[in-house]
Amino acid sequence: MSLVAIYILMILAIVAAIFALESKNLMVSVISLIAMNFFVWGILLTYGALIIAWIQLIVYGGGFTALFIVVVALTEKQKDESFDLLRTILALVSVVVIVGLLIFAVTQSGITNIVGSVSEPSEIFTILWRDRATDVILQGVIFFVASIAIGTLFLQHNRKKTKEEIKA
Amino acid sequence: MIEQLHLLILAIILFGVGLYAILGKRNVIKILMGIEIMTISINVAFIALGTEIIAGGSNAFKEFAQIFPLISLAVGAAVIAVGLAIVINNYRHTKGVDSDEMSTLKR
Repeated sequence: MSLVAIYILMILAIVAAIFALESKNLMVSVISLIAMNFFVWGILLTYGALIIAWIQLIVYGGGFTALFIVVVALTEKQKDESFDLLRTILALVSVVVIVGLLIFAVTQSGITNIVGSVSEPSEIFTILWRDRATDVILQGVIFFVASIAIGTLFLQHNRKKTKEEIKA
Repeated sequence: MIEQLHLLILAIILFGVGLYAILGKRNVIKILMGIEIMTISINVAFIALGTEIIAGGSNAFKEFAQIFPLISLAVGAAVIAVGLAIVINNYRHTKGVDSDEMSTLKR
């Protein structure tokens, strides 16, 4: 059961990463990136790598997501309209070859180590409860991202309003 | 408990997804997202390799293994910050975020 939960987290992380890159709307891409960061955070917690899990969530899930939102809002290009079929096919082929070779090399290396200190999904919550100070950090991250997002939306709204006033 | 092999495969697949963004996308913001995903995958690989065989049910994770991902995080953060600054600078010149138009930076 615990393994199923961890594998679901892994699959969700990969799907979120693919969705972040393939979505036409850049804001949706950024939200998918946040989701991917949360799934990777969960995976790192199952290892017992608490420090790196939290720092990664703060730096990538919090700070850089806010920075991405600001950049997307500033560039005013909300849609990704650039699509090159030949380039995409070439990229896919080369990625499949490289990833296939790497997976083949790793599977042939004979690694059989078992890692992680968590055997049940509920133990993640036990760890979190034991380490309650991290709640404050999580709230800080959420507050920071939310305030930046609301600020950029407010700026965008004001800009649209002034444009409409100029047109009128 | 997770097998180290599965985590390494996860890291490789995430690396491939990031590589696809760098090779196949023309939008610079998407390319930067790809770089971010690649950095995260490298961190996962670092953490996965920083373990040893469990003996007697003890915690096999080496706390020391978190130092390399920390350095990687710091470098990745600097790279993306500079990249986003370049995107905004380029947008002021070309009014676009297409990587094919980045040659105008030379002028």
